[in-house]
Amino acid sequence: MKSKKVVLYGLLIALAFILSYIESIIPIPVPIPGIKIGLANLVVITALYLMGPKQAFVLSMIRIVLVGFTFGNLSTMLFSFAGGLLSWSLMVLARKIKGLSITGVSILGGVGHNIGQILVAMFVVNSSSLIYYLPFLIISGLVAGTVIGMVGAIITIRLKKYVKE
Amino acid sequence: MRKKIVAMVLISIMLISVNACSIKSNNRYSASFLELFDTVTTIVGYAENKEQFTEYSQMIYEYLDEYNRLFDIYNEYDGINNMKTINDYAGIEPVKVDPIIIDFLLYSKEMYTLTDGKVNIAFGAVLSEWHDHRTEGLNNPDIATLPDMNTLQNNAKHTDIEQLIINEEASTVFLKDPEMSLDVGAIAKGYAVEKVVQKIKDAGFENGTISVGGNVRSFGMKFDSDGNMVPWSIGIQNPDQASLETTLHLLNFSEDSLVTSGIYERYYTVEGKQYHHIIDPETLMPADYYAAISIVCLDSGLADALSTAIFNIPYEKGIALIESLDGVEALWVFKDEKEKYSSGFLSFVK
Amino acid sequence: MFKKKDIQLAFVILIIAIFALILITLTKEEGATVVITVNGKVSQTFPLNENHTMIIGDESTEYNILEIKDGFVSMTDANCPDKLCVKHNSIHFSHESIVCLPHKVVVEIQGGEESEVDMISN
Repeated sequence: MKSKKVVLYGLLIALAFILSYIESIIPIPVPIPGIKIGLANLVVITALYLMGPKQAFVLSMIRIVLVGFTFGNLSTMLFSFAGGLLSWSLMVLARKIKGLSITGVSILGGVGHNIGQILVAMFVVNSSSLIYYLPFLIISGLVAGTVIGMVGAIITIRLKKYVKE
Repeated sequence: MRKKIVAMVLISIMLISVNACSIKSNNRYSASFLELFDTVTTIVGYAENKEQFTEYSQMIYEYLDEYNRLFDIYNEYDGINNMKTINDYAGIEPVKVDPIIIDFLLYSKEMYTLTDGKVNIAFGAVLSEWHDHRTEGLNNPDIATLPDMNTLQNNAKHTDIEQLIINEEASTVFLKDPEMSLDVGAIAKGYAVEKVVQKIKDAGFENGTISVGGNVRSFGMKFDSDGNMVPWSIGIQNPDQASLETTLHLLNFSEDSLVTSGIYERYYTVEGKQYHHIIDPETLMPADYYAAISIVCLDSGLADALSTAIFNIPYEKGIALIESLDGVEALWVFKDEKEKYSSGFLSFVK
Repeated sequence: MFKKKDIQLAFVILIIAIFALILITLTKEEGATVVITVNGKVSQTFPLNENHTMIIGDESTEYNILEIKDGFVSMTDANCPDKLCVKHNSIHFSHESIVCLPHKVVVEIQGGEESEVDMISN
């Protein structure tokens, strides 16, 4: 089981890298360098459903640090930390709500990710005018979360079979 | 079920695009600084993002500062021979200067000829006398005094621009008359603004407006709220500053300069009467014809020079000069608030 | 993959976002502020729609007295030599400013009503 875990971790981190690269190419109409769509959340939510909250958290942190050093800088890591933390917390809580599927959890994760980023950005840039972007980011978090949730569901089902064997 | 998903996705996309459109870069920025030419400089314009605009502003600041130092008649700067240096060596020896100063002085001599001597950078001996009394009068309003007319008349003997010897090859300037001094205030700002705008346009800043102490130079155009390109709206200050009407006229500007001279700009009070800073070479007193003059033309240096010259001559002579110049328009505002303009002036007015 | 609660959640979030947008847009219009900068650093800000009279600086050294009244801003007194700031007409449009050069004080209105004037020549 342990070696499978290692393989899983490796797989997910590699996936996180690819998604982060794609993210960095997509331009976002928000003038804060470092704000991300949150595609890499796919990896976190998959880990959450496959392995558990703790593992998802560890994976999230590893992902943020590695990706931050590779593609970003200190401020992008700061935004990612804030976004990742809020996102993870909301997803862990959401998972406990009955009736909410992986998609719903992912939606909360996506929205939380973006809200976390904006809040930290407002603090770092010291500008309250950034709050103007909140509605846009909430909705994009919603959309990204929905897509990620649906994809995540598919991946989780496939990988669960692999883990069980 | 499917329909609900599709509907949600569509609504989301719509909302995102609506949001994105309104957030789409309002890429008009502005900046201002207080350190140059003893006045406020304001820059307004368009750039791809804030970083780029800040770059342009920084460049403008540096370009303007170069002229600011070279044209300074009050301060010295390490390692630079500037106007003050030239004045300090009047009657002593030629001073080697940057070609920028040579070009400027040659230009100023042209302006002297063009305006029949009504704008004269060699007028320093008279202007400095007024400057000293005005500074004293502002610091101690209770004991403000006018310069002595005899002193002014004596000083006026040392304002011959022919005594300004420019050696282009050696890049030196010599004031033959030891009692003479240069005061470039009438042309310096406009000249510097024009040169700097040429440079910043070459650097890629295409649409903007700069004001250095009220010397306005626009280039390119601006965008209105629908995203169309429209001319810049430049206002002429109402000499009556108590009025709720801040501007007398609003002008449509694209590649144009506007320089205004007014009695309300810099003055001090002696025994209840106001004395402003534009001194008529004929009377050696503040020019008494108008409340304000505005000059519109392409070149900011020309506008600056003419605004002083026109301020110092009666209307009949002024209108003749303006009409004789291609591409130059003017507005005269009299003390009774009546206005006169040159033939093409109204074509600028909104 | 998709449950009823998911869709409910999505709609709730959508509504929250729209609500936030409306709220922010509304408060943005009224957000005209008077920003006072001394020596290049922002020292105080005040809302344009509240009446205020204040001293910038120190009465014993350099001071300017600023008055915000009925949506207009003006300098009512100062101990700078030329008092150009005091002579300046009162301002109320976004981007308009009153400057006291000797004291390095800039009072600027940010946000609020836009003027059609881009720059004034004086």
